[in-house]
Amino acid sequence: MTFAEVLGANQSMVFSLAFHFLRDPGAAEEVAQDVFLRLHQKFDELEGPRHATFWLRKATSRRAIDYVRKRGSRATIALDDIAEPSSAEQPGDPLLNRRLRQLIATLPEKPRMVMVLRYQEDLMPEEISEILEMPVRTVKSHLQRSLAMLREKIDRSLGDIR
Amino acid sequence: MEDFERQLRNALARKQEPPTFEAKVYAAVAAQRSGRGIFWRWATEGAAVVVIASGFWMGYQHENQQRAAGEAAKARLEVALRITVTELSKIQKTVRTSTEDE
Repeated sequence: MTFAEVLGANQSMVFSLAFHFLRDPGAAEEVAQDVFLRLHQKFDELEGPRHATFWLRKATSRRAIDYVRKRGSRATIALDDIAEPSSAEQPGDPLLNRRLRQLIATLPEKPRMVMVLRYQEDLMPEEISEILEMPVRTVKSHLQRSLAMLREKIDRSLGDIR
Repeated sequence: MEDFERQLRNALARKQEPPTFEAKVYAAVAAQRSGRGIFWRWATEGAAVVVIASGFWMGYQHENQQRAAGEAAKARLEVALRITVTELSKIQKTVRTSTEDE
């Protein structure tokens, strides 16, 4: 396992985690770069590709949450103005996708990261609990509450359109 | 619920990183390496300066101590000479008095 292999295999995952959490392509790139720089420093401590991916998910989550906390009350980009980075394919309704991303961005930090890890990375609550160092029941509770809130808001939005 | 979760997966599908991302990471890694090199060079040069300055300072202190010891010895010698001269004058005066009496 070389640094170049780990970077090549995980750069899209790291950038996307930061982007879906921060909703700011510039900030996401900054966070992702910082994470890979730290990975380079710690590279000798990693035990293999799986450990590297776990480490990257954990470091990105932590670094993105720290970034939001440090940014604090600084002005952020309006959610509608965000330029979406390209993706290989965009299945589903683009407008619905956009609305869902906007709603996820309104969630508090921890539940938002739980949602991104669950639906971007398709991780199980147990895996998310290890990455975010929180009890599994807390992860499940964040998921349930966030899903209920998103469903309600999406139904309301669709009702307004109809 | 499954349908809604599928919509969420679509909405949060992985995005492509910017095309320059990889190059920027390698540049940051290189900058970090050279930064670390600069740090060690500064640290080594700094340590050398401290060692040389300490050597000069110790030499200066030693010279000062020797000069002070020399000054003290000179002062003691002057006092001793003054006492001797006084004593000799007294003896000379006594001898002269006794010679005149004879």
